[in-house]
Amino acid sequence: MMQSNNDNIEKEFNMKQKIRLFVILCTVIFSLAWSAAGVLAASDGKVLRLALTMDPNALEPAMADERNAAIVSWCLYDSLVAIDDDSRVIPALAESWTINPEGTVFTFKLRKGVTFHNGEPFNADDVLFTWNRGKRENIKYKDRFNLVKNVEKLDEYTVRMSTENSSPLLLRFMAEHWAMLPAKLMKKTGEDKFLAAPVGTGPFKFVKWSKGDRIEFEANKNYWKKGFPKAEKVIFRPIPESSTRVAAIQAGEVDLVTRLSAEEVAGLKGDANVRVVSYPVDRVYYIAFNNMTSGKGLPTEDPRVRQAMNYAVDVQSMLDALFNGKGRPSTGFVTPGNLGFDKAIKPFGYNPAKAKALLKEAGYPDGFKIGFACPSGAYTNFQQVCEAIQGYWAEMGIIAELQVMESGKYWDLEAKKELPPLFGDSWSETIGEAMSRLQGALGGNSAAYSTWWDEKIGAMLDQIKGTVDEEKRAELYITLQHYMQENPPFVYLYEPVTYEVVSSRVTDYKPRASEQYYLFETHIK
Amino acid sequence: MQRYFISRVIQSLLVLAGVLMMVFFMMHLTGDPAGLMASRNASPEEIARLRDQMGLNRPMTIQFFEFAIDVLSGDFGNSTRYHQPAMDLILERLPATVELASISLFISMIIGIPLGLLGGSNPNSMVDYLARGAGLFGQTVPNFWLALILILVFGLHLGWFPTFGRETWRFMGLTLPTRSVFLPACSLSLFTLGQLARFTRSAVMEVRSEDYILTARSKGLSVRRIYIQHILRNASIPLISIVGVQFGYLLSGSIYIETIFSWPGLGNLLADAIGNRDFALVQGIAFFSSFVVVILNLLTDMAYATADPRVRYGE
Repeated sequence: MMQSNNDNIEKEFNMKQKIRLFVILCTVIFSLAWSAAGVLAASDGKVLRLALTMDPNALEPAMADERNAAIVSWCLYDSLVAIDDDSRVIPALAESWTINPEGTVFTFKLRKGVTFHNGEPFNADDVLFTWNRGKRENIKYKDRFNLVKNVEKLDEYTVRMSTENSSPLLLRFMAEHWAMLPAKLMKKTGEDKFLAAPVGTGPFKFVKWSKGDRIEFEANKNYWKKGFPKAEKVIFRPIPESSTRVAAIQAGEVDLVTRLSAEEVAGLKGDANVRVVSYPVDRVYYIAFNNMTSGKGLPTEDPRVRQAMNYAVDVQSMLDALFNGKGRPSTGFVTPGNLGFDKAIKPFGYNPAKAKALLKEAGYPDGFKIGFACPSGAYTNFQQVCEAIQGYWAEMGIIAELQVMESGKYWDLEAKKELPPLFGDSWSETIGEAMSRLQGALGGNSAAYSTWWDEKIGAMLDQIKGTVDEEKRAELYITLQHYMQENPPFVYLYEPVTYEVVSSRVTDYKPRASEQYYLFETHIK
Repeated sequence: MQRYFISRVIQSLLVLAGVLMMVFFMMHLTGDPAGLMASRNASPEEIARLRDQMGLNRPMTIQFFEFAIDVLSGDFGNSTRYHQPAMDLILERLPATVELASISLFISMIIGIPLGLLGGSNPNSMVDYLARGAGLFGQTVPNFWLALILILVFGLHLGWFPTFGRETWRFMGLTLPTRSVFLPACSLSLFTLGQLARFTRSAVMEVRSEDYILTARSKGLSVRRIYIQHILRNASIPLISIVGVQFGYLLSGSIYIETIFSWPGLGNLLADAIGNRDFALVQGIAFFSSFVVVILNLLTDMAYATADPRVRYGE
């Protein structure tokens, strides 16, 4: 009995010792982990830390499926040409170029002495390789490469490209998707290995990509543009949740966060450590009409009805109620930053009396019934916008039967032209010219997402596409805008304002209306 | 015993087959991804060609059987967004989720079980109210709400923890967690903690009134020994199943918590894949998560059957 009691005491003693040891061990590990995190989290003075809203799908501009991927990718590469802050095409890896009067032959003189991050020199072979690779089936933007029918190497530093039709927009498309790739390296490594550790001629060199967590680049000390980039290191961190992005910049864990709402930045005004940046983005929200499939033979084929439906909607009130009054009522598909934007054109404005008169004139004094669809969860407050529009039309007697659909399913139906005769969406533009947006939404049978075909618009678009001279092209855009006001293929809604928060440590951050930013100059004070 | 195990394994396989079918057909009901993959300026012909290339034009049943055969060899196809095998992407994100799940479970256990134990052994005392309150709170408060509050208080105002992301620490060749896991783990542990506190409490109260506890007491055993050796040991049997099931649930990744904290795990990847209609990836993650849950449930049932002979229904 005595023995057993002793055993128990000994056991309890051992137990106590074990617990104590466990607690000490836990404390040691915990404090080490704590301080390790502290060291890791401490920001280096020269490191730019930028939040993304999504993890990029690939670090290569022809594969990049949305803005985050494009922003990160363009740190690593250059194209032959670039677009500057004023939306002009400027030289990049091509020092100069000539275009024949028909706009079908482009001859580029390449910059000498440029090397890729791995030391390989850049020359005409790389341009040829980039074009050939860009046309492959698995490349998202292969259509931008297929525009060019032939690329010839005239000498080590001269290439000639020819297109079938006049292609004045080719240079802008190149600046957006044609990142020059190192032919020798890529032939050796293959596509997959290359994309895991990409190499370009760009301002930054690839260091590491932990998927879903961070992407790290360091400055390319041999960058051909002397004195750039100004930041020594860049770290991108994907933070999908917007309220976390706000907390992260407030806590000083990142230096730039994008895509916030007016409400989210409201609390940050007056915070000395950050500044709020807001600017209108090149994105038009609209309700599309349909005269190709579901809308055939409906009242909306009459231009007076379409005008009336524009006059019936109070866009400014919607902006006031849902977007704190920020945003610009749209005047059409060409926005203020685009080539050929006509300042003289005014938005339709809210005019219910005129709307009623136009409907009466068109023979629909009591309105009509029509199908209407909107995507859910895709855009800020867009469902509410659609519901408000439904209400405005109801005042005119137009009963729009609104269907709100999950966005994936919605776009699937949109691409098949199977949505109801009225549907809401938005279209952004990244090249400073509205052609892709116009062609995509009004191309008729040649464009998947187009539900409107107007021969005159089609002819005007063809004419613009064939005009090399920018001034003449601008004039044609103006004529088109007037035509599209008289014969609106859409109910024009608004161009939104985006909000970003930048740490006060950051200087020379220049975002563009396309929501694209380049980090040549941006750095920490 | 053997019959019980065999029948449970067969049941699990049937569940997995069902999951496979559901995941495949539900995903395909939402439309095809060809339109999303092509650029918005693509022509209808280009999209049709892409659809054809991806095999989306073939009959659904044929697509399903091909998918099922590939899955059996561990191949979920290529992610349409990342152009990489879905399984590689899943395995790449798994360590972050395992880290978060294990630490969440650890937090739930070291707080939930003692709380339930103390509450159950002192019914209607302050500590009991606390245990019941914790149980109720954990199971009713949405964890994404708590996550935002934790970020605001401990990340932003006190600055004790990072507000987002995962930092790791290399030590003697091991990748170890740092304090960055604390806030997401606390948010994620909430539900399990509440459940453990409640179950432990009721299990302890049940065992306390058993005759053998009275016997132990009359033998003169110390209260502590009675608790550790008799009450906790017997009360822990139902807890095994809760811990097992909850670990499966935690391992399948939490979409909300991982997204809010931008934790690079499976839940975050799944949210991204759903948003981008990445069929292969959604199917891969959904099936993988179900697989983990089913296997853990199976293991739990087996452990349970070994620990408690009454469970072996087959005999």
